[in-house]
Amino acid sequence: MRSVYVLVAVFALLALCGPMLAPHDPTAINIPNRLRPPGEEWLLGTDALGRDILSRLLHGARWSLGLAFIVSLLGLIIGTAIGLIAAQGGRVADWIAMRATDTFLAFPELIAAVVIAGVLGASTASLIFALTLTGWMRYARVARGIGLSVSNRGYVIRARLAGLSPLAIARWHYLPSLLPSLIVVWSGMLARAILGISTLGFLGFGVQPPMPEWGTMLLDARIHMRSTPLQMIWPGLCVVISVLTINLAGDALRDALAEQDAKT
Amino acid sequence: MIGVFAGLLLRALFVLTGAALATFALLWHAPGDPALAIAEARYGQNVSKEVLGFIRAESGFDDGFWTAFWAWLAPLMQGDFGQSSVNGRDVWPDLVTAMSYTFPLALVSLALGLAVSVPLALIATRRPGSWLDRGAVALASVGVAIPAFWLGLLLILLFAVQLGWLPAMGAETTTHSILPAMTLGFGVAASLTRIIRSGILEARGQPFLPAFTRRGVARRDIARDHVAPHAAVPVVTVLGLELAFLLEGLVVVEVIFARPGLGSFLVNAVFARDFPKVQAVVLLAAVIFVVVNLAIDLIYRSLDPRVSCRDA
Amino acid sequence: MLTVDNISVRRGVSTTLREVSFSLKPRCTLAVVGESGAGKSTLINAILGLVRCSAGSVSWNGAPVSQYRPALVMQEPRAAFNPRLSLWRSVMEPLVAQKLAVNAERLATLCRALEVQPDLLERRPDQVSIGQAQRMGILRALIAAPPLVLFDEPLSALDAVTQKHTARLIADMQEQEGFAALIVTHDLGYAAAFADEIAVLRAGRIEELATAQAFVAAPQTDYGRTLRDAAFALGALERVA
Repeated sequence: MRSVYVLVAVFALLALCGPMLAPHDPTAINIPNRLRPPGEEWLLGTDALGRDILSRLLHGARWSLGLAFIVSLLGLIIGTAIGLIAAQGGRVADWIAMRATDTFLAFPELIAAVVIAGVLGASTASLIFALTLTGWMRYARVARGIGLSVSNRGYVIRARLAGLSPLAIARWHYLPSLLPSLIVVWSGMLARAILGISTLGFLGFGVQPPMPEWGTMLLDARIHMRSTPLQMIWPGLCVVISVLTINLAGDALRDALAEQDAKT
Repeated sequence: MIGVFAGLLLRALFVLTGAALATFALLWHAPGDPALAIAEARYGQNVSKEVLGFIRAESGFDDGFWTAFWAWLAPLMQGDFGQSSVNGRDVWPDLVTAMSYTFPLALVSLALGLAVSVPLALIATRRPGSWLDRGAVALASVGVAIPAFWLGLLLILLFAVQLGWLPAMGAETTTHSILPAMTLGFGVAASLTRIIRSGILEARGQPFLPAFTRRGVARRDIARDHVAPHAAVPVVTVLGLELAFLLEGLVVVEVIFARPGLGSFLVNAVFARDFPKVQAVVLLAAVIFVVVNLAIDLIYRSLDPRVSCRDA
Repeated sequence: MLTVDNISVRRGVSTTLREVSFSLKPRCTLAVVGESGAGKSTLINAILGLVRCSAGSVSWNGAPVSQYRPALVMQEPRAAFNPRLSLWRSVMEPLVAQKLAVNAERLATLCRALEVQPDLLERRPDQVSIGQAQRMGILRALIAAPPLVLFDEPLSALDAVTQKHTARLIADMQEQEGFAALIVTHDLGYAAAFADEIAVLRAGRIEELATAQAFVAAPQTDYGRTLRDAAFALGALERVA
């Protein structure tokens, strides 16, 4: 159970320090060395432009995992804010916030993200914008649900009577109750964001070449499936292992919180 | 019940209007002159000013956002999806053709997913914690983590490239659908197994069940009358998410396997900046999604009598 | 002075308060008694502005009550505190909210008067006794010196000995601080012993409003008599007549 958290830490570290461990320049084109099989100089071989695949994977961690972190964090902030406004702001604010949430939920997230990123022009900025815009709704629902139950508690009523500002009430009375559930939602959304970024990259709407993002690498590798099938394995494996780790950590976290809830 | 239904319907209509507005707003604010994009798509580079003016007037771009929105929405409500800005053909017939490839694949994948996940979850929960159960959970966890596009590529690599058993590209024959259906079905099966399994386990934990056993009610009857309805509630609630998952997978799978369905239609339209087509697919996806979720909501209410008491 | 002028509160189709009027002067105590469901909590919420009145008005010296930051002491002492924050933070909240500085001398005086051990303020609500928590609830209510304090069943979560002690402390604090107190309770004995006036609430209406002595000696309504006689029978009231 705990080993899952260690794995998460390893991935976080990899996303931060991966580039330092890379033996080669991930974007250095070296045509004579193209499509090398795994060997001593190039541990996982080279791609169609002779770039070292291991180095590209390590640099890619920063894009795939780092961007997913940013996107899911932005979604967390926006969604929590909207959910809390809905819970705290009275009936009209609640109605507007919840219908906005429903409207955004009306699109399958990835399809909306493809359209947004595609229409705005493929770039890292539109990728972040697209995935954030389609990834805040679950936080909003959770924040509103718990927020509504908290708003009836005695200490929130007394804080309102004392004239504490809504922002301070949100900070001191709502957020601490929300945080455990939000973190569980966040772990799920982080995994989804990793999948989303690689999928958009694979479809050509994500991180643009020559930047080594895992999905984009798969797009490149696909053409050479017949001659060098291994090239296609590595980036996909990176996605699967990181998503699996985060999902398992999220499950462990949820179980731990449920246990804690049962105790009190 | 009729009041609840009317409320849900009203909300669905509101959401769809919002979805249409959001879609139109996105394309309206897209970088670049939309009229120029249309003109270039139709007539190539170096378009004359007169042509641009004509396109602007035709699409209602000069009269501001709301007029243009209405110029698009009014025919849409009568079933007119407009014409492709690239080749000028009606969008609707092309959309129907695309759907004829997509829907059968979606249904087969869903059926495949159910056919695998329901028995697997039932066997796994017979003895929770056994190696069979653990295996099912592990398989499901890995299955949820595999991106559809990678699984599709791996299947192509194995069955089409290495073994040469099945065709990979196109949609001419039924055999062309086997790999796409396997790709999608696996993902659906993985997530459904997780959900059904935990649904059954939770239902089994209900505090009133031991009372039935003590009174001598047969295990089979308890499972049918008390465990199954309880387990069905969480399964039905997440079916909506499952549908989103399926629609998203479809886009990717159709691109990989070069099937001329809705997913390819959408991705090609986005690349070509063919906005009428993009709008049509996005809105269609929203309609499907909202309608199915409405249906799920109603089923959910009929399954769990406690919910229908609360307001819509 | 608190003026409650002819207020009614409607919730959906049912009316929970009907044409309630009374006034309450500084340093005075009004006890509202009545059985559960009589509208006692609604009355408190209406005075505090937590529910909207469908008719009538509530004011303090002619201005909205909320401007004067009335304080509320709750029935469940622990539920009145955020379980995740230290008691110190919660007690200081009214000062923080109004951007007032902590007056150490006043705090020490209040702590001494309320028998709150200052070092217990470092703890969390579930780490002190119920009685201690309730005294801290009162401390929190009084810290910003509000002119009006509402007590919602302040004793009912406490055991008998602590009840008596806490009732005494509330009365002493009122003497010292001079706030107007509105106490909602179902304990007629407590009301009779500590309040200046007693209002009997029944099904959202004030059945009877009289000074405490007058009410105990001779209730004017049948319902008032029933309440008083029940309290006599339980030994909660001593026979005056």
